[in-house]
Amino acid sequence: MAPRTGIFSSSVGTKILIGLTGVLLVVYLLIHIAGNMVVFLGPAAFNTYAFTLESNPLLPLVELVLLSWFVIHIYKTVRNFLSNQTARPVAYQKKKSAGHTTRKTFASSTMIFSGLWLFAFLLVHVKAFHDGWGTQYEWPAGGRDLYRQEMETFANPVMVGFYIISMLVVGSHLWHGASSAFQSLGADKPAWTRVILPAGKAIAVLVAGGFIVIALFAHFYGVRS
Amino acid sequence: MRLNLKIWRQAGPTAPGRLEDYTADSVSPDMSFLEMLDVVNEGLIVKGKDAIAFDSDCREGICGTCSLVIDGVAHGPDRGTTVCQLHMRRFKDGETVTIEPWRAKAFPVVKDLVVDRSAFDRIIAAGGFVSINAGGAQDANNILIPKDVCDAAMDSAACIGCGACVAACKNASAHLFMSAKISHLSLLPQGQQERYTRVTAMIDQADSEGFGSCSNEGECEAVCPKEIPISNIARMTREYVMARLSK
Ligand code: HEM
Ligand code: FES
Repeated sequence: MAPRTGIFSSSVGTKILIGLTGVLLVVYLLIHIAGNMVVFLGPAAFNTYAFTLESNPLLPLVELVLLSWFVIHIYKTVRNFLSNQTARPVAYQKKKSAGHTTRKTFASSTMIFSGLWLFAFLLVHVKAFHDGWGTQYEWPAGGRDLYRQEMETFANPVMVGFYIISMLVVGSHLWHGASSAFQSLGADKPAWTRVILPAGKAIAVLVAGGFIVIALFAHFYGVRS
Repeated sequence: MRLNLKIWRQAGPTAPGRLEDYTADSVSPDMSFLEMLDVVNEGLIVKGKDAIAFDSDCREGICGTCSLVIDGVAHGPDRGTTVCQLHMRRFKDGETVTIEPWRAKAFPVVKDLVVDRSAFDRIIAAGGFVSINAGGAQDANNILIPKDVCDAAMDSAACIGCGACVAACKNASAHLFMSAKISHLSLLPQGQQERYTRVTAMIDQADSEGFGSCSNEGECEAVCPKEIPISNIARMTREYVMARLSK
């Protein structure tokens, strides 16, 4: 019998797409944070790094690919959430986690909320750094002075607060998501899972912690001209 | 022992339901949970009231008929235990216990605590079987199956189809149930011929029954009376990918 639906519209195919785009986004975040660490080497190093990236002619293509991962991830997760909501029309009067071997956590129960928060965060984030709310600084040696852009952005305590909260939210999303994605892609052998589960949590802490340290550094120690 | 019970009463599939209060007096700690309900029902019948409808059959943990959510956990607090094998010594004198049916769109309530699980039957009918003629019994050593593969197939075959996985899942997903059946058959030689049509047909059927998708929380595994692990769900995903790529 021919399958009634396309591969990615079934419940399993949906999981595969969410997991795949999830993993890709995590890999992107790891690269992103590694790159941002260059900020600790000072303005010259950071701006050179940024200029090298921005002057690469392939950058628009890379951005487009990245955008498509976000779009697919958001589209699939939101639709999946909505259709899962219909699978239990009458709620339990009393429901609790079974404990035992469960992987249910606060993080896993709030994926849609952490995800939607991240979506809002992304809009602010791109506005602040891609566009700088209209204010751009020149770096004499070429390109933009993104170091200054970052320091100016994080001079504002409201911005620092918003970033810290958002990074805790990303940490929560990945606390469940980073390891969950492997399960969604069909990678669950006991020997791997023993590594994947704690590694996912480590990635969550690393990503959230890394970005928070950068925001705090920029706020308290950033050199502003 | 004396227990306060809050039990879901619902006259029929479309009637509104609600929790009603009952007391279970002189409960012995050696009773099973279902025997405790039997005693409550005897009291109701004597008073000319409608007995509480609930499902059970074997009462020895092998048929998968019993199905109660006790204090928010499918099959109650004991790990790897059906509710018919749950005993009253697990509860304290004076405790309040809430009892509800499995809740899922695909498992409509028939009456009180009884739900219609024929959606599972339809999933099995869609592909959860072997229709080839395997012929007469031959020497067991003719087809060698590695011990670990055999064990994995047997562990999945332990699924009794009770539906606790669906009841526990926040998405009311049938993935653990399906994956147990798919693993069981796809690991063994008899299941090979229909391996790929089976997995797509069963998933199609489950999706059209209105079960949800899987969020990898593993609540299903934690309530499964046969402790079937969610690694089966990952195997089902691999089988599904192979099936879709192979045609
Ligand atoms: C930096 C951005 C993001 C990253 C790195 C990311 C990463 C991930 C990962 C790895 C997973 C696990 C996938 C799986 O279990 O198969 C996941 C799941 C999820 N994501 Fe995201 N995500 C991001 C943004 C978003 C956004 C913007 C939304 C907006 C709605 C979202 C909503 C969800 C939801 C609802 C799930 C759970 C799906 C389920 O229940 O299985 N995510 N995400
Ligand atoms: S009545 Fe058969 S498993 Fe509980």
